[in-house]
Order: sequence, then C-alpha cells, then structure tokens
Amino acid sequence: MSRGRANAAGGGHPVLDPALAPPFPVAALPVLRNSQLRKNVAHATDVIQAKRARVVAEKDDWQALRNAGAAIRDHVLENLGAYLEQFEERCTAAGGTVHWAADAAGARSIILEILRQEKAAEVIKIKTMTSAEIQLNPFLEAAGVKVFETDLAEIILQLGEEEPSHIVAPALHVNRSQVREIFARRMGLKDLSDDPQALTAAARNYLRRKFLDIPTAISGANFLIAETGSVAVVESEGNGRMCLTLPRALITLAGIEKVVPRFQDLEVMLQVLARSATGERMNPYTSLWTGVTPGDGPQRFHVVLLDNGRSGILARKTERQTLRCIRCAACMNACPVYRQTGGHAYGSVYPGPIGAILTPQLMQMHHAQSLPFASSLCGACYEVCPVKINIPEVLLELRSQVVNQERRQALRFFDPMYVGLRVANLLFSRAWLFHAAQRLGRIGLGFFTRGDGWIHSLPSVGAKWTQTRDLRGLPSQPFHAWWAERGRKPMKEAK
Amino acid sequence: MSAAANSRRQVLERIRAATPNSAGTAEQGASAWNALPRGYTRVGAMTADARIQRMMERLREYDAEVTECAPDELPAAISAQLAASGRLKFVAPPGTPPAWMVTAAWQIAGLEWNIDQCDAGHGLTTEEIEQAEGVVTAAFCGVADSGTIVLHHSATEGRRVLTLLPDWHLCILHSSQVVETLPEYFARCQQPPALVTWISGPSATADIEMTRIKGVHGPRFLNVILVRDLGDNKIQQ
Repeated sequence: MSRGRANAAGGGHPVLDPALAPPFPVAALPVLRNSQLRKNVAHATDVIQAKRARVVAEKDDWQALRNAGAAIRDHVLENLGAYLEQFEERCTAAGGTVHWAADAAGARSIILEILRQEKAAEVIKIKTMTSAEIQLNPFLEAAGVKVFETDLAEIILQLGEEEPSHIVAPALHVNRSQVREIFARRMGLKDLSDDPQALTAAARNYLRRKFLDIPTAISGANFLIAETGSVAVVESEGNGRMCLTLPRALITLAGIEKVVPRFQDLEVMLQVLARSATGERMNPYTSLWTGVTPGDGPQRFHVVLLDNGRSGILARKTERQTLRCIRCAACMNACPVYRQTGGHAYGSVYPGPIGAILTPQLMQMHHAQSLPFASSLCGACYEVCPVKINIPEVLLELRSQVVNQERRQALRFFDPMYVGLRVANLLFSRAWLFHAAQRLGRIGLGFFTRGDGWIHSLPSVGAKWTQTRDLRGLPSQPFHAWWAERGRKPMKEAK
Repeated sequence: MSAAANSRRQVLERIRAATPNSAGTAEQGASAWNALPRGYTRVGAMTADARIQRMMERLREYDAEVTECAPDELPAAISAQLAASGRLKFVAPPGTPPAWMVTAAWQIAGLEWNIDQCDAGHGLTTEEIEQAEGVVTAAFCGVADSGTIVLHHSATEGRRVLTLLPDWHLCILHSSQVVETLPEYFARCQQPPALVTWISGPSATADIEMTRIKGVHGPRFLNVILVRDLGDNKIQQ
C-alpha cells in the first residue's frame, strides 16, 4: 500500500498496519517536526473538547449515565454469546442474513462473495473503522470492485490518498486549504475556494449521482440490538441515510462487541455518544433498521459479525473493559500525547489512548508493543470515557506483559535497562547493600554536582537524562540517617 | 461442515470459553439486565410549557426554523411555511391529512402535491422524490432535552427516502408528542419499532476544521411547526 508520495502528514506515508508500522517514538518524530499538522490537530481537538465540556456540564445525571453505560456494556460482554445468538435469530427472522468471521481474511472474503452475488462492480460506503481494521478497501479494489467513500472526511482521505488519524473525524489533521487542493485536483474544480461551505457543496455534488445510481452499500454499525435484531448507525451528514436507504443491497460489518441487549438501552448510549464524540446534544441523524422492510430501503441485507482478536480480549480480566468502547474518541481529544502527535504515529486505524490498548491486543500482543508506553498515565482518557474504561489500568497491565515477554528473551539479558533493573532489585532487597550504594553514589555523583546543587551533564548512558533536563544532586545526608538522628535530638531542633 | 458454519462455531466457542459465567440464553440473562443500575434521570420535571420552550430553543440552536400554531390554525400555518419557502413541488406520505394540503393548494398558485402512495403500490420513484423541492410529514415524538425529532416511518411520517432526498423538510409536531428526556421517548415505545430515524437539526458536518456546515447530503433546511394541542392553546410570544 506504499504510495511513496508526500502528504499532509509530512515525510513518508504513514503506515497504519500494526504489523508493519515503526514503533511509536520513531513514527512520532516526523509529526513532531511538522508544525502545520500539529496546529491542525491542536485546533480540532481544542474545539471538540470545549464543545464536549459544555454539553456534558449541562447534564446533571452525567455520572449516572456513565455508570449505566459501563454496566450495560459489561453485562453484554459477560453474556456475549447469548446476546449474539439472539441477535442472529431475530435479524434472520426479520429477513437479514448473518455471517460470522473469525478473522479479517474471513470477513473480507465473505464481503467479496456477497458483492459477487450482487454483481457489484461499484460500492458506496459509510465510514466504518472496522472496515479499515480489516483493510477492506485495498482488498476490494484489487478484486476489481470500485469503492466510493461517502463521509466527507473519508472522501478527503480517499481522494488525497491520506490515512485516517482520528476515529470520529478521520481527516482532522488536514486543514481547509489542503482540502481545497485535494478537491480541486481530483474533482477538476480549478476555481474552488477554501471556504468550508464551498468544499462541502463540492462533496455533495460529487456524490449525489453515486448515491442514486450505485445499488450496493457497505456500512459499519454503532449498535446491534439483540432483542430485535436491529442495527443502529449514528452519523451527521446524511451520507449514512443515503447508503442505508437507496441501495438494493446492504452489507453491515460489525465487531462482535457492538451488541446491546435491548432497544431501550439506546436511551443511555445515544445520550452519551454524541455528547462525547462531537460535543453535540445529539448528532444530526441516527438510523435504526430491522432486517428488511418491504418497500422501504435495501431488500437484501447482510450482517458480518467480526471477531478478529476480540474474543481473546474478552478472556482477560483487566483487559476485557477495552471492549466496552463505543468509539466516541473523547479519549484521544483529551490525551496530551495524542494532541501532540496526532493519529498517524500510533501505526493503527485506532489511535490515541483507546488505540494504545486496543491495537496491541487485537494483534495478540505480537505487534504494536510500543503503544502501551505511548502515554503519561495522566488519566484524562479515563475521566472523559462515557463507559468508564480505566485505560491507565489496562495500559499498565499491557506494559507488564510486554516487559515480561521481553525479559525472557536471551538477547535482552544484557540490555542496560534490564541489567540496571536487576541491580536495583538486588539493592532494594537488602538494607546494607542499599546504604552502601547510596554512599558510593554520593561520592560518584559528587564529581558532577555543581555549586548550585544540580547535575547539568553526565557521561555515557547518564547523558540520556541530562541532555534534556537537569538532575538534583544527592543530599549530603540520606533520609534514613536524618530520621535516626532526629530521635536523639530535642524536638524543636528536629522541626 | 461448511466454512461458514465452522467460523460461526469457532467464534461462539471462543466467546463461551472466555465467559464461563455467561447466561445460556438472552432470556436467562433478563434478571441480570433488570438489575442493572439506572440512576440517570428517567422522567423530567419541567412544566408542559417549559418543555415546549426547551424543544423550540434546542431546535433553533441546530438552525432549524420553528413556528407555533393552535390546532385549528395548522392548515394556514403549513400554507404560510410553504409560501415562504418559495418552493412549489412538494411530496407527502400517504397518510397525510388532506386538510394539511388543501389550504396551501388553494392559496399558492402553481403548488404541486405528489403523494407517495407506496402502500397502494403506486409509490413515487427515487427520481420523482429527488425532483421534489420539499416534503411535509408528521413525526412520532419530539425530545426536548436534545431537540430531537423521532420518525417511526408510519403512514403519516413517510418512507425513509421521502424525508431524505428533498432539500427542505417541514415537520408537524404536536406539543402532546414532546417529551422532556430521551428515556421518556423509549417509555412511549410499547413495542420496539422496526424503523427509526432520530433527526436533530438539518444535515451537517464538522469534518473541515470542526466548522459546522449545514446540509451535506440530507435536507439542508428543517422547518418545524409546533401545534399547541395540550389544551393550552395560548402561544407564547
């Protein structure tokens, strides 16, 4: 998929396949040097965060909604098999066809098979991150099916040959003049202005005929409702309604965790989702449909239920909460790391804090192992999460798994970090060794400590610290010595 | 065993192994579902009047145009809205009360009504709906808290495509249909509906620099007439 051309992300083309992407610190470097990209990301995340804060503050029952949201999602995950089977039964009874895909390759071939039955050479698509996860578009294009994305942000990415950098606003790293350039070039509109109104109108004209003419559509799902077999899609532009209403055949790709027990559960989910995602009290359009309705909408309807690593996450106690996620992206907007790097550095279609825990787990911890470390553990993500996923807790769990995997490797035995940690382990376990090390350290570091009590530069590995920040010199008296002495002195002096 | 049945069995087996305490069926999980904490606001505390005011205020924040009328003034109010829109070609669902249409047809020269007789097998084609300049429908419910209009696509609300392709949507909402909170709407659904569209303002996007732009693919204009049918026919100025 390498396209080898410069784009708005600067430098090379970002790689969003976790199996091939460079580690986070390497991938983040070109972004940190790209001030335009950082400005675009900072502006967009600031705007969404301010809007979110306003509409969340006006809900007196926000914490109760979060608690209910988390409880509903946990209940679903605990009983996932039962609810999926109920969904399958009810959706089938309503005229839909349910398919099960164990992995990405399985889902891709099911979808292609349906498209072949439909004799579809072209397909219109609603934004779905799940399809990006299974790399559906390049697969379909290679099989000779032309894919038209219909979400404005996805059109920007598709025509600009960009990669998504956010799960709700995937083109948030591209600004209006860059959009103008892409549309002018790819739609042949030389006189296009960079006014968002004009750009939006250009997208409307570009797609109008396609909506009316292309009889096959692919969508994702925000919620599957077990009780009724219905599917719900949450959107803003109306491109979703077009794809869900006009075609003759519809394929919906959904992760197995997307199910909720009952129609009524949407009273919680719809209240928290839009407020968290776009800072609106409600998104412009939410559609719900049940199988096939004669005379209204597609008359052939398929749901593809995708596992692709999700059942493995389900099996783990601390990590299971990852699957509560309803993909609102509030965590990335709030994350001090994401706000600096944008999404491409994460090397996955799922960036930000949720991506940092979801991606390595979807890869069975074989890839994307630098992601659990791409966080300051400040907890801002947990605070804004509408279903209360304790992302820092999962990050720590994944970090320990990465470290436990690494230190068992022979090659890592002599790695300075692991040598250092083994030495520390030994020193901290015996008081006399610890005191001796402190005495040695005070003598050693004394050579580097300046008159102001700070160490400004250290040689060798120590330089890694002092290159970017100073280090406080060791005090002349360690705490335990001061404590022991304190007992022998009169109280007022000890103050 | 076919490949399809095989991957179904494989996925379900993995899920069952990962959730040893799972209920066997959704029905068996019902008591646990009933016990889920629901401490959020179910029923609002506003007076009927405050609720209607809130509904109108939130609709206007989405750039929807809202007017009010008493029940007997509705035909004239519809006619006034259609005239003000400057449009002439309208579509309407099969269950639209004739009274909603005749006054406008009589008052506005050149006005065209196209009824989507889909239940009688004479539904409009997609092209015919696309050619319409506007659509007039009823609604199932209004949710004041978020300024949301809910369509269940009954005979007075129209097929989904009917309120999608025309650029201008006039929605008739009665104050007795307006609830304060979203859970109150769900409480009004005795049976879960098969088709729902929740509409909150006209079609919009914020994909370019988070600037909200009206009208991408859905109707660019949403107009609402609130009919005061709750006994309180006085219209607040």
